[in-house]
Amino acid sequence: MIEFINQWHGRTVRGVLLAALAALAGCTSTTVDEFRQGETGITSDEAVVILGRRQASDYETRSEFVQCVGDRMARGEGAINVVPEQEFVDAMFPWFEPRTAPLRTRDLEQLMAENVVAEKMSEFGIRYIVWLDGFTETTDRQGSISCTIGPGGGGCFGFGTWEDDANFDARVWDVGSLTNVGTINTDATGQSYLPALVVPIPLIARVEANACSRLATQLKDFVNGS
Amino acid sequence: MSSAKFLIRLAALLGLTFLVGCGVSTVTIEGSFPTPNISKLPLNVAVYYDQSLRDFAYMEYSETGAEEFNVQSGQSHIALFNAVLPAMFDGVVVIDSLDDAVAAEVDAVFTPLIEEFQLALPTKTKLDVYEVWIKYNMRLATAEGDYIADWVLTSYGKTPTETFRSTEAAINDAAVVALRDLASSFSLSFAQVPEVRDWLAQL
Repeated sequence: MIEFINQWHGRTVRGVLLAALAALAGCTSTTVDEFRQGETGITSDEAVVILGRRQASDYETRSEFVQCVGDRMARGEGAINVVPEQEFVDAMFPWFEPRTAPLRTRDLEQLMAENVVAEKMSEFGIRYIVWLDGFTETTDRQGSISCTIGPGGGGCFGFGTWEDDANFDARVWDVGSLTNVGTINTDATGQSYLPALVVPIPLIARVEANACSRLATQLKDFVNGS
Repeated sequence: MSSAKFLIRLAALLGLTFLVGCGVSTVTIEGSFPTPNISKLPLNVAVYYDQSLRDFAYMEYSETGAEEFNVQSGQSHIALFNAVLPAMFDGVVVIDSLDDAVAAEVDAVFTPLIEEFQLALPTKTKLDVYEVWIKYNMRLATAEGDYIADWVLTSYGKTPTETFRSTEAAINDAAVVALRDLASSFSLSFAQVPEVRDWLAQL
């Protein structure tokens, strides 16, 4: 009887611990701010290109994040034609390289005066250029984990935690009117945990994935004008 | 197998692993370079790749002075110029010697040279990016060897650190960005170089 109570007690404690850790792992909060400066709308024969800003000296917008936002905008209800970033940049070479890319809509106006640029834009059917700028930062690393290995086996023990903060700005340029039609900011934060009882169990907050998902949904609605 | 032989082999294996870990790592820059979308100049140009450019390699040393990375970028520079120059000029011919220029009947001879190469690794800069910086000397002369222009151009490329990417791959990616930067600035600024502009006005 005592053995049964001990077993039941052990299972309950483990269950509560796992449930608590699972709940903590889901602790990601995302805030999306939209600032609209003009009317938007897109037809089925028009497309959007999403480009990452790479002018900053100490970071650059990861191409994987740019691709993630593009992939999500191109599927589901209200899907939009999205031109892949690398395909567009290569086709436009050398006009959209980090050193030569337009920083303001005024620069885009000058760029569109080049016949080759205007023709390529028309070939792709680009209606909007979305500039993504941001990065994910890891802060507040705490705790420690130590692992040992010996002839009889090995294992880890300890606890680690850290916070991730993904902050991205999306500026939407209308290629038709050569104006900035809006800005969407996404800020996602989340706490990740790594408890280790013999085996490390990573409970990672999917901060960048959440930022990508929320930003893509908001951008799709924004571009569609809904 | 006796335990003594096993221990000797294990020690030899560990020794080899240690030596491999300490050796210099060679990175040969590889990348594809798109053709620039720019208006061609009505010129026939010969390009001469000096042996120092063809064989260009940069050695990065560790903080203890040991050879760490040997970055070989000569051939990638040639691939880049071979992609860029035909988009800039009506006719481009590669010559093996500057003496061949007159026979090639060209308007000018272009000679690119690398003056300096710098590599910045995250382990040293404490930034989350790999950086490559290259300084070039571009020379333009007539087929007879008379001076037209001689100017300096710099290019820069960086790539962020990623969890499952090797240092060699990151160095390659940063170098390819730097080469693309060279191609963009060279192709867009060529006609704006004062001496080149004056020479073009005389033609």
